[in-house]
Amino acid sequence: MLLYTLTRLAYLAMVLVVMSILVFLVTQAMPGDVASMIAGQFASKEVIDAITVKLGLDQPLIVQYGRWAAGILQGDLGRSLVLEQPVAPILMEALSRSLVLAVVALAVVTVIGIGAGVLAAVRRGRMADQMVSGVSYLGIAVPDFFWAIVLVLIFGSYLKWLPTGGYAPLADGFVPWASHLVLPVVTLVLMLIARIARLTRSSMIDVLQTNYVKYARAKGLPEKVVIVRHALRNALLPTITVLAIDFGLILGGVVVIETVFSFPGMGRLLLFAIQRHDLPLIQATILIISTAYCLANLAADLLYAFVNPKIRHGMGNA
Amino acid sequence: MTALVPLSAAASPDPTPATAAMSALLEVRNLTINYASPRGTLRAASDVSFAIRPGEVMGLVGESGSGKSTVAMAILDLLGEAGRIDGGEILFEGTDLRRLSAGQRRSLRGDRIAAVFQDPFTSLNPALTVGRQIAEPLVQHKGFTPRQAAPRVEELLAEVGIREPRRIAQSYPHQLSGGMQQRVLIATALGCDPKLLILDEPTTALDVTVEARIIELLAGLCESHHLSALFVSHNLGIVNRICNSVCVLYGSEVVETGRTRDVLARPVHPYTKGLVAALPRITTDRRHRLSSIPGTVSKLSGPPDSCVFAPRCPFAEETCRRLPQALRGDAAGNSVRCWKAEALSGTPWPEESTASRPPATPPARTAPLVQVDALRKVFGERRSILPWLRRDGTVAVDDVSFTIQRGEVLGVVGESGSGKSTIGRSLLALIEPTAGTVLFDGADFVKQAKEGDRDLRRRAQLVFQNSAASLNPRKTVGAAMERPLVLAGRQGEAERREMIAALLTRVGLPAAYADRYPHELSGGERQRVNIARALATDPEFVVCDEAVSALDVSVQANILNLLADLRDELGLSYLFITHDIAVVSHIADRVLVVYGGTICEEGPIGRVLRPPYHPYTEALLSAVPRLSGAEDGPEPERILLEDSTAPPGGGGCAFRGRCPRKLGTICDERAPPVQTATDGHRIACHIPLAELAERASVFPELAALH
Ligand SMILES: Nc1ncnc2c1ncn2[C@@H]1O[C@H](COP(=O)(O)OP(=O)(O)O)[C@@H](O)[C@H]1O
Ligand code: SF4
Ligand code: SF4
Ligand SMILES: [Mg+2]
Repeated sequence: MLLYTLTRLAYLAMVLVVMSILVFLVTQAMPGDVASMIAGQFASKEVIDAITVKLGLDQPLIVQYGRWAAGILQGDLGRSLVLEQPVAPILMEALSRSLVLAVVALAVVTVIGIGAGVLAAVRRGRMADQMVSGVSYLGIAVPDFFWAIVLVLIFGSYLKWLPTGGYAPLADGFVPWASHLVLPVVTLVLMLIARIARLTRSSMIDVLQTNYVKYARAKGLPEKVVIVRHALRNALLPTITVLAIDFGLILGGVVVIETVFSFPGMGRLLLFAIQRHDLPLIQATILIISTAYCLANLAADLLYAFVNPKIRHGMGNA
Repeated sequence: MTALVPLSAAASPDPTPATAAMSALLEVRNLTINYASPRGTLRAASDVSFAIRPGEVMGLVGESGSGKSTVAMAILDLLGEAGRIDGGEILFEGTDLRRLSAGQRRSLRGDRIAAVFQDPFTSLNPALTVGRQIAEPLVQHKGFTPRQAAPRVEELLAEVGIREPRRIAQSYPHQLSGGMQQRVLIATALGCDPKLLILDEPTTALDVTVEARIIELLAGLCESHHLSALFVSHNLGIVNRICNSVCVLYGSEVVETGRTRDVLARPVHPYTKGLVAALPRITTDRRHRLSSIPGTVSKLSGPPDSCVFAPRCPFAEETCRRLPQALRGDAAGNSVRCWKAEALSGTPWPEESTASRPPATPPARTAPLVQVDALRKVFGERRSILPWLRRDGTVAVDDVSFTIQRGEVLGVVGESGSGKSTIGRSLLALIEPTAGTVLFDGADFVKQAKEGDRDLRRRAQLVFQNSAASLNPRKTVGAAMERPLVLAGRQGEAERREMIAALLTRVGLPAAYADRYPHELSGGERQRVNIARALATDPEFVVCDEAVSALDVSVQANILNLLADLRDELGLSYLFITHDIAVVSHIADRVLVVYGGTICEEGPIGRVLRPPYHPYTEALLSAVPRLSGAEDGPEPERILLEDSTAPPGGGGCAFRGRCPRKLGTICDERAPPVQTATDGHRIACHIPLAELAERASVFPELAALH
């Protein structure tokens, strides 16, 4: 397991290096020139050249990349051109809000999605199964912005039970904090729950037909134990992977939902940076989003290996 | 290392048959079970009755689909959603289980009534340690905490013959061999000191030598714990070894039940007669035709309105088709469901044909058809200049050489993983050998196949085990046979259609089957289609890889006869791979015994079955369950091998890890010399031939034959 983790970490490092190069190159290729942006619209050519030299923008790309990468490794993500302050704290704030969204959404999806999937599998073909299947179909077929708008209209504008958007830090009190989270979370989880429920249902149905589940029953174990200890544990393997990837995706920003609910997370930050051509901010944001995504994937693989003894104990010759 | 154990179960006197139902531990009375299926109800058990007394082991036999598992699962209340008990009683210690609540039945399960299923690997949860899985019934029924259960778990593992119980308890199922896994399941079943064991084909998935050990273990446990067992099996030899009594199912009904020695030695019901007659035996060599039971079992949707066996019964009369048969008991406590039973008591199952086959032609002086020299195959090896990327790989076949003459059948026997299939596939150039050459009719097969030589591909064909998986479910039988015909150069469509009809007739199927889909065929019919497809290219050589292993005895006999006919009429050569010695002794002229990728013995079948034996061959032969014994005096002692372990690498003998006669370091260090006895009989062992020849024959009954 240790060896496996180390190998995976080495891969992760490699992926991140490649990613950072790509991010750097892509942002370089974007229209607009950093020096003229800093100098402002009406600056003279001399001023612009001076800034270019000062920032090292006249040097070869590889040197520029090296400097940027070295800065990142020392925790310096650069300075935002538009906001005129260091990128790191801006990013951290957006990331922490996205993290709250991701954690709450994931918790809801895990409990309801897996619960519904298991229920549907155990009552296969009966009422409960048909309800779960019907509802998940709706959840998958209807796009999330539609739910977002409907929910805002009903609960925000019409009933006025919940704020239509924005974010309140926990420091302002639990109720405002939570009330701002409800609508984005609900919108976000509708589709995820549907997907997780369907996935759990189908793998659970497969596992319930295995011999070891039958043998667990032959031991006289109560059905609850059979389902949780013997079936669910194995049925969750594919679900875990999908959940971890979803987590990474939410953490990296869900642009549509953040926009509709004016939720200041990573998605909106990236949008803002791109609209304003704030190159350092774009670079840092994309890098953080990719890292979050890769880490979530790594977590998925490690978790998968952890619950699957065949991988956990087969590492030596793998 | 070895234990020489006299056979306890069959040797001990049988308890008197069940006449007093009161004393029965388990009594099944008139049990009727139906399955709901999309195509209507399907009857899986009709009026099934039998009784098992304390300490009795009863065999439940019959071909697949006869309802064996259904009855076993009904006793455990594990029929599942589709199955429904529609009548009858299941009395356990006098209480009808059907009158208990589901919760009460559950609390008996795993406690008083425990089970062991067929495939040990799939019966164990891959995500939990085996120790935890063994502890579960103890925790559930006996109120142990998991911690308290630990010493008991180790005790149980030790009792089922596992040497390092503590370490094994902490392992996961995939880390154990098949034999160990089955021991783990048996330990699980024994945990709560049950009264009754339900064993559903507990050794079917295991190698013969491992099977012999497990059967020995079960027989010993039943005796020492005074356990009763219902032993579901399709293998009459095994039933003969471990069961006191036997109950034969056919088409959802009990057709015959009684003491094992009576039923198997002097079957009364025509179906049992056919079943026993169809079994290939060591003593039936290639000149005999096997008896077979024509046709297939018909599916019932309701209570039978005639004798269920009538469509296949050679003794059927008008009366049989008019009236359902009742189970009638005799004075000795045996029962039969056939009104003609008494009249037929002396009549044997009709012989297939009295004409015996021509004896094997003396080995031709011509060049062999297939010549294999120093064949070696290593899987998963990775060579690299970077040491950490190098991987050793598994040696599947190591330095194997042999020849096959035209019209000759070369058998290959050995346990799973010994390299049998790899040899077969190398011969067809389906895998590329790591080293060595394969000459087919003098030409380098591998090289020719690479260069796209169609003709060579046409001349050598393959028939393998899984008849369902080898046919595309969306193609009709005729469509599946089109391609090989095109390969064989049959261009005209009308000509192909004619050929398909001829080929189907050739393998004993109606020509109209060309329009059927694989799912509309039975297992035996699908295997016939596979053979017809292989014949389509007019081959000279066919590799049969476990081609009859998945089939029921009666169907197997059919296919074996067909293959032998084709050999005699078309002059085909076969490489016949199987794990079943009796099958190989029936069809093969010569045989290779392989172990760990090497040939340990080779020779004419008649020689290999008699001493001198290679130590592995001797153990393998002695592990074969047989029907003889009850009649032919006491069974010979058995050589029991340790559970299989991976063959050790490096030099030395591949068998040294399990060899009961290992000499010492010489076996570890030097590859055994190949010693030649009579008739090209060759044995690779450090023990001198003369010493090997001193052992008694495993099959004394062979002495009577030439
Ligand atoms: N779950 C099921 N649903 C429908 N039919 C079944 C089911 N299980 C078994 N059957 C049918 O019941 C009959 C008896 O099957 P089974 O008890 O498995 O026989 P055996 O163990 O002797 O092979 C067969 O015709 C089989 O196809
Ligand atoms: S009743 Fe008739 S058909 Fe049935 S087994 Fe007896 S003889 Fe054969
Ligand atoms: S060479 Fe040695 S280990 Fe191998 S079979 Fe002969 S006696 Fe046994
Ligand atoms: Mg079965």
